Amino acid sequence: MGLFGPRSGSQAGIASVEGEAAEIEPGEVDHPDVNPLAASGPPGRHSAEHFDSWVGAFVPYAVGDPGRAATEVVPVPDPQAWHRRDSVFDGFVVGRPDGTPVAELRAASLRGLSHRSFGRTRQDEYAYQVTPDGRYLVLCVADGVSSGPRSHHAAEVAARTGVTLLVNALEDAAPEALDWDRLVGAVAGHIVTFARKRLPGGEQMDVSEIVGWMATTATYAVVDLANEEMEVFSASVGDSSAWVLSERGWEPVAQVKNDGAAVDSSSVGALPMVPSRPMPSQHTRVRAGEALVLMSDGVGDPLRTGEGEVGRFLAQAWRRPPHDLDFAAQVGFHRRSFDDDRTVIAVWPLRR
Amino acid sequence: MDGEKGKLLPFYIVIDVSFSMTLNDKLDTANRIMPTVTDAVAQAPILSDKVRFAVVDFSDDAQVRMPLCDILEEGVQLPALSPRGGTSYVAAFRMLRNQIAQDVKQLKADGFAVHRPVVFFISDGEPTDHRADWEAAFKDLTTYDKGTLTGFSMYPNVVPCGVDDADPTVLQTLIHPAGGPKPMRMYMQDKTKIDAGQAIAAMAEVLISSVLASGESMAQGNSGIILPPDEDLPPGLASYTADDDFV
Repeated sequence: MGLFGPRSGSQAGIASVEGEAAEIEPGEVDHPDVNPLAASGPPGRHSAEHFDSWVGAFVPYAVGDPGRAATEVVPVPDPQAWHRRDSVFDGFVVGRPDGTPVAELRAASLRGLSHRSFGRTRQDEYAYQVTPDGRYLVLCVADGVSSGPRSHHAAEVAARTGVTLLVNALEDAAPEALDWDRLVGAVAGHIVTFARKRLPGGEQMDVSEIVGWMATTATYAVVDLANEEMEVFSASVGDSSAWVLSERGWEPVAQVKNDGAAVDSSSVGALPMVPSRPMPSQHTRVRAGEALVLMSDGVGDPLRTGEGEVGRFLAQAWRRPPHDLDFAAQVGFHRRSFDDDRTVIAVWPLRR
Repeated sequence: MDGEKGKLLPFYIVIDVSFSMTLNDKLDTANRIMPTVTDAVAQAPILSDKVRFAVVDFSDDAQVRMPLCDILEEGVQLPALSPRGGTSYVAAFRMLRNQIAQDVKQLKADGFAVHRPVVFFISDGEPTDHRADWEAAFKDLTTYDKGTLTGFSMYPNVVPCGVDDADPTVLQTLIHPAGGPKPMRMYMQDKTKIDAGQAIAAMAEVLISSVLASGESMAQGNSGIILPPDEDLPPGLASYTADDDFV
């Protein structure tokens, strides 16, 4: 079930016309089906007097038990962040400078149920940018550390400034020669500068104090758009993750967190602290028919290794690029106790 | 698969049901703890999706009176505690160790990840077993060596709560962890201000504040239990660390 999905009965959210819809005979609909995505006939086109030209219905996605929070949370705004949006999403075709479409991109960042319930802003962020020469697509997913009241700013800086710094670096360096430590150090510097300028008493703060106010994880990826089989170079600070989704299932590009720990802990590395050891970077390839997927742990945690219910759901949903609204709804699937912010950027290389 | 269904925070409410608990409405008040907790959790959907509760009582033996469960689930029976016998801390600690091990194993097998369990330990008297015995049983419950992987890896955080004749110097040794980044505390009845029944009601308030605060804290990415700040304690309760002295 889900946005534009096949109608499956009584759980419709905003469209409450099923009783009437049931009275329609298919032959009565005398105009073309305006929604090619509607798989099981045109739902709810009928009003008392005449046929309307609208179709569609919204049903939230749920994987397994949706939990009480899915229906019982009363969402409230964050009085400290009126101008920060609850949720954002994008969907478009990435083209070469000559106009050749080479990839589909979908991105969505949604405020989690928990932040909705407790009146806190979304702390996740994403950013993307294509280099001026059209050669590389640069991506970032950043997850502001929850304990920092201004972590969303750290995530914004890590995503937006980080992507711009990478684009600039790619003017002089091939992606395999990128100095990730330098990049991450520069991003950390920008977060510190931002904090010193904007936090109350920030001028005097050292990095460890700033981390208490704002910190973020970040996963960066550089996608080489030159060929149909795209090379991907990526690196992460903290537990956001990058995956390749193919017919073989979910394959992590970076290490999956908490593999085999006895009792889970939530400690993560986060900017503006910089890793003490050199950053490991990853290299992978993604082909037409596959997708590169960057996600915050709001999705990564329920996905785990990708082999469970959530993995099967998202693998099926993202076999091909969905409608951008549908993608956002899929990122926001309900599943009991998974109430963190959710952010995903997915890139599907196109056949050429 | 481990953790695929989310991460739960288990609370074990452990209540002394020795005969002395019938005095001062103690047991009656103790019997109202779980209904009050249930009402509070029902108002907090984010939290209710990820906390589980169990009730264990103990006197000469210890019994699981409500197995670890989602208390809002239909069909859950809240226990009615009744008094029996003495005050064996050994029985309580041994039961907890077995039960926690079994519960965590089952939750993991069911696909959940598990925050470190929390034990609220409510007693009105001194242990009737030998000191060396209950100390050893408590050590078995709470000791784990990360280096050698020996001991009990699922050891709980323990919050002792004492009323009437409970000896603060004894209960204080049950604060676990006593130090480190997130030390637990002990709550004692201030006998100059409230009676033991009122103190148990106040301890239920602390438990609920702690459950709610832990829920909000998990929303901030933290792992496990948060105790309420001392200034928010209900009147008549005194809060102590493992280092506080008793004169």
